[in-house]
Amino acid sequence: MNPLLAQFLAEAGDLLDQVGDGLLRLELDPGDAARVNEVFRAAHTLKGSSGLFEFPELTSLTHAAEDLLDAVRAGRVPLDSAMTDDLLATFDLIRGWLAHVTVEERLPGGADADAAALIERLRAPIGGQAADMPAGRTAGVARHAPDWVAHLGARVVAELADWLDTTSATMRFVRYLPDEGCFFRGEDPLLFVRQVPALEHLAVLRPDAWPAPDDYDEYACLLGFVLATRAAAGELEYVFRYIAEQVEIVELDAAALRSPAAAPVPAGTGPASHADADALAVLEAALRTLEPHDEDGPPGGGPSATHLGSVAHAAAAAARALGAPVELDPADAAGMRASIRSLLERARTAGGEPGPAATAADRRTGEPDRRAADADPGQVGSRVLKIDQAKVDRLMELVGELNVAKNGLTFLAEAAEEEYGSRALSRRIKDQYAGLHRIAEELQSAVMDVRMLPLSVSFSRFPRLVRDLSRRLGKRIKLVTEGEDTMADKDVIEALADPLVHLVRNSLDHGIEPPEERTAAGKPAQASITLSAVADGDAVIVEVADDGRGIDPARVRQRAYERGLIDEEELETLGDADAVNLIFQPGFSTAEQVSDLSGRGVGMDAVRASVERLGGAVTMRSEPDAGTVTRLRLPLSMAVTQVMVVSVAGQRFGVPVDLVVETVRVPRAGLAQVQHQDVVVLRDEVVPVVDLAGTLGMPWQPDPAADHAVLVVNVSDSKAGLLVEHFHREVDVILKPMEGLLRDAGQFVGTALLGDGLVLLVLNLKEVLSLGARAA
Amino acid sequence: MALELREDTGTLSGAVTVEEVEELVAWLRRTPGARLSLHNCNHLHTAAFQALLAFAPKVTAAPVDGFLAVRLLPVLDPPNAAVPEGGHHDDRDAG
Repeated sequence: MNPLLAQFLAEAGDLLDQVGDGLLRLELDPGDAARVNEVFRAAHTLKGSSGLFEFPELTSLTHAAEDLLDAVRAGRVPLDSAMTDDLLATFDLIRGWLAHVTVEERLPGGADADAAALIERLRAPIGGQAADMPAGRTAGVARHAPDWVAHLGARVVAELADWLDTTSATMRFVRYLPDEGCFFRGEDPLLFVRQVPALEHLAVLRPDAWPAPDDYDEYACLLGFVLATRAAAGELEYVFRYIAEQVEIVELDAAALRSPAAAPVPAGTGPASHADADALAVLEAALRTLEPHDEDGPPGGGPSATHLGSVAHAAAAAARALGAPVELDPADAAGMRASIRSLLERARTAGGEPGPAATAADRRTGEPDRRAADADPGQVGSRVLKIDQAKVDRLMELVGELNVAKNGLTFLAEAAEEEYGSRALSRRIKDQYAGLHRIAEELQSAVMDVRMLPLSVSFSRFPRLVRDLSRRLGKRIKLVTEGEDTMADKDVIEALADPLVHLVRNSLDHGIEPPEERTAAGKPAQASITLSAVADGDAVIVEVADDGRGIDPARVRQRAYERGLIDEEELETLGDADAVNLIFQPGFSTAEQVSDLSGRGVGMDAVRASVERLGGAVTMRSEPDAGTVTRLRLPLSMAVTQVMVVSVAGQRFGVPVDLVVETVRVPRAGLAQVQHQDVVVLRDEVVPVVDLAGTLGMPWQPDPAADHAVLVVNVSDSKAGLLVEHFHREVDVILKPMEGLLRDAGQFVGTALLGDGLVLLVLNLKEVLSLGARAA
Repeated sequence: MALELREDTGTLSGAVTVEEVEELVAWLRRTPGARLSLHNCNHLHTAAFQALLAFAPKVTAAPVDGFLAVRLLPVLDPPNAAVPEGGHHDDRDAG
């Protein structure tokens, strides 16, 4: 893909997020002028950048959205929910298109029809006057001739009006204002004009004054055209299909020609300020293009020489439009960057009106200093690198391998001492190991730090979700997010997405009552859902809280009993708090009706399963009529797992350390049997013991003379013992999921490489224990 | 070769493309009072046409090409030196 397009796509993603987020906030607080501006600017930038590519539908659609936002910004139109819906739909459509562009490098088929429908809806609130619609389409016969028709000359217009009056016919009038940079896109405006069939009259629009010969830029298009033709609107749209946004087509009859519209210049948005804003947008786009690229770009890095040339021209043209012409040398990308940046700064500080004389003087007297001085301020602030995720993953993998190689040194030290009898060498190797260990640990935490993302990444989708669903369900809901800055590993953040969506949907669907029911219960009609995150040592706690009707423990108990999840005794004795957590049991679903939001049979057990897969835990508290709080506790990072190594029958296995309660040695007589199940009594607690070798089908009999080594673990809130042969040390490993033939081996969660090169199988204790219980 | 530029007279023939505009403008810039024949010219790129408007060289031979002769020549070389119809535009829309 061409690097410019790739960059546009990356940026467009951010811009779309900005627009979406801004629109949602605006809907809550339509008077927030700064926010309107922010959304408008993002949409404007998107439109500007899209113009660099051959996506006319994209440009005209963003243009329509921008116009609507502009009207909102100027206070001409109040933003309502229907408009927000349309705008959101617009940017959703664009997001879909861009996803398609990412793969295919072109817009999907049918884009023009989709765009046309939305453009019409977007234009409706601002009264889609034909004269103000540079979308290249006609809206039937206009009632008034736009003022530019006069460029054809009074005599011509009068003649045409007479003729049309006599014949009761209409003609099409076109104003074509090529933008300044159109030559760089290979457009030849005259060639388009030439192709207009049945051209009747042509007027060439020239600038008020030509630049001085030395300042004349042969690559900036300064001309415009107004023409009258008998060609049908469809023919014109075809001729101008690639440049629809630069063309305005109206169909006029005699009456319209004779009643020109009063020049409609909306207050506050004079063409001059508009042009300045556009020039600024061009400069910003140029600056972004010039920012150093990473090595994905073409050899030599950065845009190609041809590209630099066109950027230089476009930027120079924009600078001229701002009244501050500069000379840009396409061969000197860094210099161009500095000049453009200083231009932008001056334009912004001067409110977009830099005095031409002053800037020209500056340029002549102190340009080199200025450049040097400007280069620094431009780099202040956080410099953010966008890095391909795969590269960070690769780095993490290498850290893992470094750990493995490092651990090899301890084996070498042992060998030096035992096999070669050199204690001194062994000690030196151990010293080296200690140094290496420290560096490897720092490196690891540095890489882990890179992988840390704020929870806001996960939370950001919810404002939209809650808005859409609450509108659909007819409930009024306020979403509150807290602690978005809490950081967690990207894998955790990503894996958190689905469970969170499920929980929020559940709250929306089942937890929160319709407004009438709430008012009847004496609650405010607007419900609230709170998403919060807080760091807790090595873990992050995420809570989803609602103030809905809560969960009725009696109903949960009854349902669980009906489903055979608990027995009669538990039905009587189970406490309310425990009963609420029954809804995480597989096969439990409280929804009486399956709605399309939640309750599609996956239920809360799916949430628990995915949280547990992350090494986390989920609990729920609920108070009838006061609401429900679901608490997820997740490890901050999953990249490195601490495992305890045990061995049986000469084979080593890993057990995740966070599940280990203690290691005990039990004398031969200490093992008892209850209903064929080995048990051990520890501090007056009966703990079932599972023989690991037996469970995994390995030939091994415990030495009758020796004590038994039992690893006590805590799985799903109950303790169990694992009979093993030896305990070993704890190690940090990078856990790799089971792949290929071993994928279906449920007894293991993954594999890890040990320092001596051996592969360690890490046990899935839940599975192992249930296998062992079945065997007994 | 679409451009044939001599000391103060030049000939444009065939289709003048955007690549040739730089050369044309350089010549117009250093040749005040340039004289130009468009006789065999079939198409002018907009950039070339704009350059001719900006530097206003004397057109010594009208183009044979219909579009150029009918539509553009009157703009380049207004008959009777009258102010051409149309005129100035100061209302360029924000693109």
